[in-house]
Amino acid sequence: MDDTFTLLPLTIDPATKAISSLDSSLASNLTALNNLHRATVSQPNQIPPPPLPLNPKRSAQIQKMREQGNASLRSRGTPSTAQAQEAIKLYTYGIEMALGRPSWEPAQTVREEAGILYANRAQAYMAAQMWAEGAADAETSVELKRADNGKAWWRRGRCLCEMGRWDDAAEWVRQGLEVAGNEADLAALMKEIDRHLEKGER
Amino acid sequence: MVDLIGLAIPFAYLGILVGSLATFSSLYRKRKAAKSTALEPWFGPHVQRNIYLSLLHLEPQPGQEKATPVPDSVLKAALLQRATEDIRRILAIRVAKQPLNLLLQKGSVGDELWQRFLRAEKEMEAELRDVVEEANALATNWGQTIFQSANEMVQNAIVREKVAEIQEKGRADREWWDKERASIQSKFMQELDEEKPVETPKGAASGGVNSDEDAVLVEGGGPASGSAPGSKGGTKKKKAKK
Repeated sequence: MDDTFTLLPLTIDPATKAISSLDSSLASNLTALNNLHRATVSQPNQIPPPPLPLNPKRSAQIQKMREQGNASLRSRGTPSTAQAQEAIKLYTYGIEMALGRPSWEPAQTVREEAGILYANRAQAYMAAQMWAEGAADAETSVELKRADNGKAWWRRGRCLCEMGRWDDAAEWVRQGLEVAGNEADLAALMKEIDRHLEKGER
Repeated sequence: MVDLIGLAIPFAYLGILVGSLATFSSLYRKRKAAKSTALEPWFGPHVQRNIYLSLLHLEPQPGQEKATPVPDSVLKAALLQRATEDIRRILAIRVAKQPLNLLLQKGSVGDELWQRFLRAEKEMEAELRDVVEEANALATNWGQTIFQSANEMVQNAIVREKVAEIQEKGRADREWWDKERASIQSKFMQELDEEKPVETPKGAASGGVNSDEDAVLVEGGGPASGSAPGSKGGTKKKKAKK
């Protein structure tokens, strides 16, 4: 098997260099190939550079978006809905930039950058009282950045409480306490949920 | 003469013994080899590898004399795709190895599965060497980094998949919450609407309760006043307090 292969009916477009095939089962593979070709063809030597060292330009842009978003949220006292919406917009740009990194750049960097941005956007959604979106963003943040992310655990817990999903919130926060250790805010939220559930069951 | 015949018998015996053993062993080996090649491969067809090699051997299309030459950049992208699939397979092999070994020791899986696995492992080693060679042929020293890049590509794909999955779930959640909130609001409004007309009778009822209490109070005052006849001012005062 080592020296043999299955010859596939491929054709190349002389102008665009796009590969296509009559065999429709190859379609997804060929789309991936053509997309990758478009991304790599502009690289030096037409191959992806090694994952490290990383070009700091995009990281700087992402950080700028985050800081602007933070500034919008923290202007004075409790942020107004308009300020929260502005922060959401800025964080969304940052998330798009973080997830839009070329696919060969370190996935760990993407996880960290996007993880923080999702946690921040969750906060902004909470400020705008958009609990469902906040819950989803906080969960995404936790998925991306497991360690040292107690805030995101707390935010989803809070959002679930606000939506009246106390049982889900209890399960989520309990899990969060296991992973994130005994974070004070999280423990307080757990107590609050327990109190509510006890009251509800009586 | 007698010696020769006497010698021939043990030699013939040995010859037959060795011959039958040799035929048995060669038959056994052949059968085993045939069996192992007939074993189902661990992984399905390596599509990315086939694409890459097909591009190397691209045939001219009907009506053309020569095939359009495939530019190096396309070959490089195709090789990179092949490397990502290799990374996925290596990960799958690494994950499967220990549990499979354990199951084999316990006797839960047959030897055949283990043979298939070992063959896949060997094939992957050859495949990796092959890709590194091809990479070095396409760009100097690319062989050193192609698998690093491919690994990040696989990890990145996993990250984006997860994000998309959770965000999609979030959208479904949001639809649920919109409905839930609407129903809570309408319930709340209903309660408000119900409360308004109810409020007056409620007030009246509570007024009634109050008057009952008052009546009890008065009654309470009654016996007291009864027990102390003549002290009319006391009752009067109470009434005035009301």
